[in-house]
Amino acid sequence: MTDLKRFSASAIPADLRQPAWNEILSRLGLASDAASSIRNDDSGHMALSVSTRDSVFVQLTATPQILSPIVSKANQPLQGTVLVLALLDGTAQVLDAEQTVKLRSGDIMLLDPSQSWRLALQTRFRIMLIKLESSSFLLRLVRTGRQEANRISTQQGIGALCLNMLQSLNEQLPHVDNNELPALEVTLAELLVACLSHKQSAGNEEATDVQLAHLRRVCRTVDSRLDDPDLHIEQIAAQEGLSARYLQKLFKNSGTTFSEYLKSRRIQHCCIDLANPALAPFSIAQLCYRWGFNDAANFSRTFSQFMGMSPKSYRAAPPQDLHEQLRRGCPQTKPSARSPTTDPQTFLQDDDIQKRRRPFHEVLDDHAKYALSLRLAPKRVSDIDNTAAAQTDTHSPRQYYLPVSDKTVHWGYFSNAIKPVLTIRSGNIVTIETLSQHASDDCERMIDGDAGAQSVFHWTGTTKNVDRRGAGPMDATIFGRGAGEGFGVHICTGPVYVTDAEPGDVLEIRILDIQPRLSCSPEHQGKHFGSNAATWWGFQYDDLLTEPKKREVVTVYEVHQHTHPPHAKAIYNFRWTPQTDPYGIVHPTIDYPGIPVDHSSIDKQFGILDKAVVPVRPHFGVIAVAPRETGMVDSIPPSYFGGNMDNWRAGKGTKLFLPVATPGALFSVGDPHASQGDSELCGTAIECSLTGVFQLVLHKQRDLKDSFMDGLSHPFLETPDEWVLQGMSFSDYQAELGPNAQTQVYKNSSMEAAMRDAFRKARHYLMKEHELSEDEAISLISVAVDFGITQVVDGNLGVHAIIRKAIFPDYNAD
Amino acid sequence: MTQHICTPGCTHGITEENKKDVVEEFDTARRSFIRNAFVGGGAASLGAMGVTMSPMSFAAGANTPINADAPGQMHYYIPATPETVLWGYFSKNAKPTVEIESGDFVTMETLTHHANDDAERMVKGDPGAESIFHWDAQRKGVDRRGAGPMDAKIGAGGGAGVHICTGPVRIKGAQPGDILEVRIVDVTPRPSGNPDYKGKTFGSNAAAWWGFHYGDMLTEPKKREVVTIYEVDATGERNWAKAVYNYRWTPQTDPFGVMHPTIDYPGVPVDHSTITKKENILRDIRIPIRPHFGTIGLAPAEADMVNSIPPNYTGGNIDNWRIGKGAKIYFPVAVDGGMFSVGDPHASQGDSELCGTAIECSLTGTFQFILHKKADLPGTSLAELNYPLLETQDDWVLHGFSYANYLAELGPNAQDDIYSKSSVDKALRDAYRKMRHFLMTTQHLDEDEAISLMTVAVDFGITQVVDGNWGVHAILKKSMFPARN
Repeated sequence: MTDLKRFSASAIPADLRQPAWNEILSRLGLASDAASSIRNDDSGHMALSVSTRDSVFVQLTATPQILSPIVSKANQPLQGTVLVLALLDGTAQVLDAEQTVKLRSGDIMLLDPSQSWRLALQTRFRIMLIKLESSSFLLRLVRTGRQEANRISTQQGIGALCLNMLQSLNEQLPHVDNNELPALEVTLAELLVACLSHKQSAGNEEATDVQLAHLRRVCRTVDSRLDDPDLHIEQIAAQEGLSARYLQKLFKNSGTTFSEYLKSRRIQHCCIDLANPALAPFSIAQLCYRWGFNDAANFSRTFSQFMGMSPKSYRAAPPQDLHEQLRRGCPQTKPSARSPTTDPQTFLQDDDIQKRRRPFHEVLDDHAKYALSLRLAPKRVSDIDNTAAAQTDTHSPRQYYLPVSDKTVHWGYFSNAIKPVLTIRSGNIVTIETLSQHASDDCERMIDGDAGAQSVFHWTGTTKNVDRRGAGPMDATIFGRGAGEGFGVHICTGPVYVTDAEPGDVLEIRILDIQPRLSCSPEHQGKHFGSNAATWWGFQYDDLLTEPKKREVVTVYEVHQHTHPPHAKAIYNFRWTPQTDPYGIVHPTIDYPGIPVDHSSIDKQFGILDKAVVPVRPHFGVIAVAPRETGMVDSIPPSYFGGNMDNWRAGKGTKLFLPVATPGALFSVGDPHASQGDSELCGTAIECSLTGVFQLVLHKQRDLKDSFMDGLSHPFLETPDEWVLQGMSFSDYQAELGPNAQTQVYKNSSMEAAMRDAFRKARHYLMKEHELSEDEAISLISVAVDFGITQVVDGNLGVHAIIRKAIFPDYNAD
Repeated sequence: MTQHICTPGCTHGITEENKKDVVEEFDTARRSFIRNAFVGGGAASLGAMGVTMSPMSFAAGANTPINADAPGQMHYYIPATPETVLWGYFSKNAKPTVEIESGDFVTMETLTHHANDDAERMVKGDPGAESIFHWDAQRKGVDRRGAGPMDAKIGAGGGAGVHICTGPVRIKGAQPGDILEVRIVDVTPRPSGNPDYKGKTFGSNAAAWWGFHYGDMLTEPKKREVVTIYEVDATGERNWAKAVYNYRWTPQTDPFGVMHPTIDYPGVPVDHSTITKKENILRDIRIPIRPHFGTIGLAPAEADMVNSIPPNYTGGNIDNWRIGKGAKIYFPVAVDGGMFSVGDPHASQGDSELCGTAIECSLTGTFQFILHKKADLPGTSLAELNYPLLETQDDWVLHGFSYANYLAELGPNAQDDIYSKSSVDKALRDAYRKMRHFLMTTQHLDEDEAISLMTVAVDFGITQVVDGNWGVHAILKKSMFPARN
């Protein structure tokens, strides 16, 4: 799911080599001194991969230069990371204020990126550099010794194994998924601890490091078996080849016990589930069964003990610091007024014990962080309700959960080259979180406290988690708006690879359910918000009555889910003012997605639309498979592969059929809307983050004979009562408009063309699926098919044709 | 005057007990009128033409006191006859069929101008239809068809306008600047007069040369016109229509000897010996019916005679299927007396009316007319209204056209130019502006509020792309403003 980023110096113009070089090095917190040699070196290579834990793996081949850490406040995130250097070819020296360590080919060296030192690569070299995240324990070891002590002997023994591993990793990096990397990181960290410990064991009592390594392993095993209600310490001990007594000692060293730890891990997972709106349909009992509690009453008691409130009240109003807790992991390592009985701090009697326990705590803490990073990665969900599933249907479809994070989205473009974040089979059900790209219009209401949203929108002076936004150039050489130029704006979650899907097949996407993504900010906990921007690309922009003309206005709505029927109400609006993004670029209009709006620069008008109650129609504006064309495709104009159709009928209970254009189909979804009118006149809907439950059903080409799906070359939407044919100005604009299609489509669209396309698609459908003659089809269309304006703002304008199923009382799809 | 206000389902004074009497009385009156009209050669006076009745008299007859609060409210009946229709045009100067007071009811028969596609089913045995469609070598029941010259080669009036419009009805006191509210109290199908088809009603759908599909056909011959005949249940119990047969239009020679290679003049009797009927078409397909009036409106001020095809600010051929029973439609009055006409009845139509026509099927409507004087408009949802505004039970529907008032905007040749200048984009632009205006004036929103609300909650649909002045409508749900209701 990472794209391994590769740079060959020869492929980059000399002038641009150094910025490219430095961009990669900066991911490691390093800078190079060798401006001129990089410029002139056309044989250099660099490759970069980032794990789901944010560890960075870099391969580097180049001419001599000196690397040194960038020490600045902006590099705070580097605290707690360790840099692993494997010198695969060449010679080098590490210099600091006190000494010089010489390195030869095959040496491994651990470095603390927050310290000051220089790595002088003296010959042409080949190295691997790994920035290991959350390895504070390893870091402590690194800091205790002098630099010389951090050089690992790789002649034999565990050091040699370590080198072997790094060498293989170097070779296999292109083939390792970034969600597989965390496991490697953990192993590597353990190996390194063991290597260093040989030198330190003399000074340390009781071979602590070995115990810590054991504790890490045990934690992982425990986490993988949380759903087993009968899990006992003996089982874990047997699995790990350790004695139960020894395990008890390990936990005792950490100031807790095995059963307390197990409970706390389970409670923690339940907390995450309870706070997850996507799981709202499941009862508390169902959720607690999922994590190994087999008695709801017992769960409720335990939960109250830990959290100081009942699961029910927790679910109704998760505490404000929930996500802080989640990020930090283990509640038991954190002083908490709510859980005095389990607070390890109360056991700590004196400094000595505390000192001894700290490393153990850190292991648990690191581990929790690791577990969370895995949670934010896509995965298979164990059958949520084991008992019910077992009773009703042993073949109930597999369920997957795809959370939204910077690792699971592509922002503003489609491409068949994006690595899938999840692979499923036909018939599987996947719950997918989606984010509105307009959430940053009001960060407080729509992003704050929401770990997933934060990871996607994170943008400071130095880091932007999702850099590419749009299909434009990364260096923004066209308009200078930002990476990707905002040529495409939608945050698309995915892609999901559907096993066996091939071009010519049809992917049926069943929208089983749509859930709101509630605000996590302390102020607005549990409420649901969306933003509607009347923008420069809207139909109204050049046709305003009141001054100032050519203005953009953002209206923030609150969506009320629990009224009958659910509705939205406006809260306030503001006129867009030029916004300076964290990289210092000024955006006079809404020309780039995800710019955090500085609320001190805008003038909010409350009390607007106070009498208007907007009925909601939750749906996804963007539902797509990957296009067949190579390269990146702007997410804005809809096309044959679906995309930004912006038809509000694509809501719960509907099925969308899309032609598969690339192996695996590569399904993505985004641009969630709470409501939209036909035409989406001012440019956007109520843009509002939602979570959808989708069942993906693959129809193989060979089975399509005599069905409307045979040769399907456009999106086809089926609602409970209607078939909706989506006409577009250009039904396949890339094929029709040629090399400049992505520009031309914005200029050459018309409503007539869209109407014509909708007519032709309706006629084709009626003739093919209902076996009507052309004359019958045309008469029927005129007397019974309704044409509506889907959207007039997405470049490729849309008109849809609605055919009511009631017209065909005897029709049977099979 | 206290007015009796109708709501959907209101019987406007007719109860179960007196219903039979009322219907009978209407029927007697209608028969006698038609007889008179024939006998009198169409020179019947206004008083004899509109059958005038007061609900109060029914009440007395049925011995049931009703509507005591609406004294003086009258109910007129206007059958469709050559004397009570204008074929193919609106005219501010036409002689009114009846003159009414605000609050009065009028039941009006309307005939589809496509009835002659199958005269056997839609004309024969129906004296009203026979009198209008009458055309032999000597005489046409209605000679002028369209706003064109009387000596046009193709036929009198040139077919510049095709709809048979019943009326006009003159509303006393209506003056330019006022708004006329027309409530569609009831719509019923017109049963076939042919005993062979007792209890049935028929309609015709012509996929014509002015349709959106024409020139974009897949199968040969590519430039064909096809007429499909549909059957509708005359009792109204069955809520769907079904196709009976279709045929390809062949050149038809009218009784005056003029050949019509395409459907270029309304009411040409189709000689069924020249066509090939294809049965068993659209099998097992049920078309949900949406009875409505395609053409409904007031006479415009700009010209004496105005082609009935392009809709305009005073209404006309709007072709929105939502203009059916239970709806209210508001028109700006452009000339003294308003001069209301209605025609082009449809059993059903889809948004866009793609192939050029709907299921064109004769209907009878009962309307109540309420005049809103200019002085009373400010502060109401009718303030500054200058286009046909439809109110259904749940929605406000605003009608946008490529040209809001094409007669004024396009100058002296407007009635010709309009056919080459329309686009959906322009109609959407007009609908957008009208909706913005409506929200700002009637809901007191500012422009930014109006625009945001429009994009998140107003549905824009394509009314028609076949009537010269193309239409896009905007639908606003009334439930969005609960405080209002």
